[in-house]
Amino acid sequence: MNVIVCLKRVPDVAEIDLQVDASCKSIKTEGLPYVLNDWDNYALEEAIRIKEKTGGKVYALTVGKEVDEEVLRRALALGADEALRVWDPSVSEMDPYVIALLLSRTIKENEIPFDLILTGVQAQDDGYAQVGPILAELLSIPHVTLVTRLELYEKKARVKRELEGGLEEELEVELPALFTIQSGINEPRYVSILGIKRVAKKEIRVLDLGALKLDPGEVLPKIKVEELFPPPVGEGAEILKGSLDEISEKLLEIFEKGGVI
Amino acid sequence: MGKVMVLVEHRRGEIREITYEMLKKAQQLDEGVEAVLIGENLSELKEKVRPYCSKLIMVKVEGLNEFNSEPYQHILSQLLVQRKPKILLIGHSAQGMDLAPSLGAALGCGVITDVVDFGFQNGEVWAIRQVYGGKLSAKVKASSETVILTVRSGSFDPQGLLAFKGEEEEVTFPLVPFPYKRFLGFLEAPKAEVDITQADIIVSVGRGIGGPENIPLAEELAKALGGVLACSRPVVDKGWLPKDRQVGTSGKTVKPKVYIALGISGAFQHVAGMKGAQMIIAVNKDPKAPIFNVAHYGIVGDVLQVIPNLLNKLKERKK
Amino acid sequence: MQLVQRFELYACLQCGKCTGGCPVSLRTDLNIRRIMRELIFGEEEVLKKEAIWDCTTCKTCTLRCPRGLEPSEVIVALRATLVELGRVPKTVIDALEATYVHGNPWGRARQKRTDWADGIKVKDLTKGEESEGLYFVGCAPSYDPRLQRVSRSIALIMKVAGVDFGILGTSESCCGNEIRRLGEEGLFEELREQNKEKILSSGVKWIVTTSPHCLNALKNEYGLEGIRVYHYTEFFLELFEEGRLPFKNPLVQKVAYHDPCFLGKQNNIYDPPRDLLRGIPELKLLEFSRSREISLCCEGGGGRMWVEGTGRGTRNSEIRVKDAEALGVDIIATACPFCLLTLEDALKTMGLDEKLQVKDIAELLSEALGLEVER
Repeated sequence: MNVIVCLKRVPDVAEIDLQVDASCKSIKTEGLPYVLNDWDNYALEEAIRIKEKTGGKVYALTVGKEVDEEVLRRALALGADEALRVWDPSVSEMDPYVIALLLSRTIKENEIPFDLILTGVQAQDDGYAQVGPILAELLSIPHVTLVTRLELYEKKARVKRELEGGLEEELEVELPALFTIQSGINEPRYVSILGIKRVAKKEIRVLDLGALKLDPGEVLPKIKVEELFPPPVGEGAEILKGSLDEISEKLLEIFEKGGVI
Repeated sequence: MGKVMVLVEHRRGEIREITYEMLKKAQQLDEGVEAVLIGENLSELKEKVRPYCSKLIMVKVEGLNEFNSEPYQHILSQLLVQRKPKILLIGHSAQGMDLAPSLGAALGCGVITDVVDFGFQNGEVWAIRQVYGGKLSAKVKASSETVILTVRSGSFDPQGLLAFKGEEEEVTFPLVPFPYKRFLGFLEAPKAEVDITQADIIVSVGRGIGGPENIPLAEELAKALGGVLACSRPVVDKGWLPKDRQVGTSGKTVKPKVYIALGISGAFQHVAGMKGAQMIIAVNKDPKAPIFNVAHYGIVGDVLQVIPNLLNKLKERKK
Repeated sequence: MQLVQRFELYACLQCGKCTGGCPVSLRTDLNIRRIMRELIFGEEEVLKKEAIWDCTTCKTCTLRCPRGLEPSEVIVALRATLVELGRVPKTVIDALEATYVHGNPWGRARQKRTDWADGIKVKDLTKGEESEGLYFVGCAPSYDPRLQRVSRSIALIMKVAGVDFGILGTSESCCGNEIRRLGEEGLFEELREQNKEKILSSGVKWIVTTSPHCLNALKNEYGLEGIRVYHYTEFFLELFEEGRLPFKNPLVQKVAYHDPCFLGKQNNIYDPPRDLLRGIPELKLLEFSRSREISLCCEGGGGRMWVEGTGRGTRNSEIRVKDAEALGVDIIATACPFCLLTLEDALKTMGLDEKLQVKDIAELLSEALGLEVER
C-alpha cells in the first residue's frame, strides 16, 4: 500500500520563555530547539509499519524552508522512499488552508500514488487541527480524525477513533482516504544519528509555486493571525493560602477555569 | 451583524454540554440565534435545545442516529449556502474536529478552530485561541461571508442561559448515500490497562501520601476529576502502585493538561517526566520542596487533610 | 565486524569472574558470562534479552577478566546494534532525543543551563572571556536543584581559592559518556565534536569536572591533547595541599565515603576524596567494608538513570544506605551526581532520611569553608 505522510517541523517550547517578535504576529525563534511535531511522529511510524507489513512506498511531504528538511531526513532514515518539500517566498502568509492547498497540489501535479494519507491530529505549535481534513476535502477523499487504531484491508480500512471521556467509535472507510493520527497509536522507534547521516545524500525534491502550477493570487489564507500576546497569569508557583475550605474553593475555581470540571 | 448559528452536538440521546456553552455565548451576540439539530430521533432531543434559541432548525435524516461528518457536511453546506449565517458555531470536540475544517474548505469559508472567545468587529469575525501549548494567545480574524468557529469546551459558562422564542423549523435534504464512511458503533474504554501518557488529567502521588492505605483517596480524586492516578518512583519501589503508573525518567513521560502532585518532593528524575504539563498543582508539607519550582499553583500542607476537604467540596458542587 | 571477532569471544574461558563481580547479577536477569558464550551461537537471540539494559557499565567485569576481554564493551556494542535497529526502550529514546534536541538527556531547555550559577559571577568562555581553566559542569549538576548545590559549591570554592576558571555557559552540551554507553555512538560523536570545538577554541589548559562520568569521557574518550582533565576532588586536593582552602568550620560528623565506579575502579581515583575529607577539621572518616575497588555500584551509571531492565527487589543503593546505618555514620559522602541522587532516593525508600544524609564532598568542603551556597 502506498502511503503519503505529511510532516511539520515545530519548536519545542517546554520550559522556554516564549517572546513575541516586533511584528506581534509571530514568536522570536532564535535559539529555539526544533523537533518533528509529536503527532506527526506517530503518523510517520504508522506509515513505516504499513510499508513493512504490506510493501509499497512511503512519500514524506512537508511545507517549509530548507531547515525544515530535517523532518524529511528522519522519514528517509526510517525507510520512506521519497521526500518532497514545498516552499515559495511569494507565499507571505500561510494558514491551514494554504498548507493543505500546497500539499494537495504537490500530490496532484506529481501524480503521487496513494492508498492512504496520514497526518498528525494537530501541530503542537498552533494546534489548529485543520490541515488533514482540508487536504482530504481538496482531494475529494474521505477522512477520519483522531484515529487510534488503523486496520487495513484491500480497498477499505477499519478505524477506531477517539471521542471524549475514554469513549471510542469504530468506522469503516473506503480507500483511498486520509487519517489524522492520534498520539499513542503506536510506539515510535528510535532513529539514530548514524541512521540520519546515512541518508544525508538522498535527494529531497523541492517544489515552488511554478512547479505546482499555482499563482500567488490563488494561495491566499482564509484566516489571519492579527496578534500574539501572553495570557494573563502570575509568576512562579502561586501558593494558595487560607483555611482548608478556602483552599478547596480556590482549587475548584482553578479547575473550572482550566476546563477540568 | 448577521446570524449566529449553533450546531447542536448530541450523542446517544444526550445533548452534549458544549452545545449549551455555545448557545450561551451566541445569545449574547445575536438575538436571533438559531440552532441546527441533525439526526433521526429528534422528538426528545429538540425539547432540550428549543427553549434556548430563536429558532431550532431540525433536519431529520432516516438512519442517521449518530454523528457522521459526511452527511453532516452535506446538510450543513446546503444550509449555509441558503441561510448565510455570519458565524456557525461547532464544538471543538471529536465531532467538530472531523467536520469543521472540511466543511469550511468545501464552502471556501474561514475556519478558526479551538477558540476560547470570539466576536464581531469592523466587518470581521475575531477569535481568541491558545498557541504553543497555552504559553501564548492569538487573536485571529476571518472575513469570509460565513465564518466557522469551533469552540473549546469550558470556555463559556452555560449558567444563566436565557429563555428564547424557540420556534421550530423542519427541513429535509435528500439523503446522499455515503458508503465510503460508515459509522459502526461505539466502544467503551477498556478498564484493565491505563496509559497515563495519554491522560489529560493526572493525580500523582509521592511518598508523602504516607502509605498504601491512602492511595484510594488519591484515586477518588482522580476519578472525581475524570483523570488517572500516577506516581513517583518511591511509590513503585515500595510496591504501593504498579510500574505502569510511574512518572519520571525511568518511568513514563506525561504531558497532561493538569498534573496534581500530591506529596511529591519534585526530585529531578520525576520532574523531567512531567514538566510538560500545562498546569501543575502541588501539595507538599515542605515549603522548600523543589516541586514548587515547577508548579503553577502550590499548597503547603498535609495531603491527607487537603484532599478530603477538596473531595467534599467537589461532591457538594455536583449537587 | 561480527561481535565474536571484534571482542575475541572465543578466548573467553567461562570462568565466571565477570558475573561474579557484576553488581546487578543478583537482582536482574543479566548474566554477562552467558552472553559472552551465547554470542558465539548468534547475535539475534542475545539481542532479545531485556537484561542488556540492566548493565551499569561499572566495568567490574572488564577489570576482572583474566583474559583481558571486555564484557562491558560487548554490552555497549549490543546496545549500539539495538539503537541502529530502533529497538530501544521508550525512556532511552526520550533521553537520547532530548540530548540531541536540548543538549542534555533530561530534556531541559538549553537556555536554562546556566541558571545554577545565579548570583555567582562566572566567566563565560564562549562570550569572549578567557581563563586558564574550564569548569565543565555537566547536565545533572546544571539543571537539578538538589545538585545545583554541588555545582555552586564547586564554583564558589574555586573562587575563594583564587582559581582562574570559566564555563562554556549554555554552549556546554552533554559530555556523552552515558550516551555512548547507551549505544548511540553517532550522537556521542556529535556531542564530542560540539564540545571539543568549544573547548579548543577557548584555549584553556585544564578542565575540572563535577562528575566522574564527564571526567571519564573528557579524559579518556575525547582526545584532548595537551589539556589536563581533573575530577574536582583531584584539583581541590592540590588546592588544599597548597594551603588555598582555609577551613573555618569544624564538621563534627561521622562520614563514610562511597566510591563512585567511574571515579574509583575506572579511573583509579580513590585517595583524593578521602584526603580532602580527612582535611576537614573534626570530621571522622569511616570506611565501608565494600569500598575502593569493590565499592558497591549504586546502579546510576550506564544509562540506568533512564532505564530499568529486569531488576527486582532491593536496589544496591538501598543496601548501601543500610550499610551506612549499620556503620553508624551521619553522612554518606560521595563525589558523583548520580550516586548522590540514587543514594538519596534510597534513603527515602528505606525511611532513613531523618537519620542519615547524603552529601557531595564539595558540599562538605563549602560548609567547612563557611561559604554561603544557597541563592
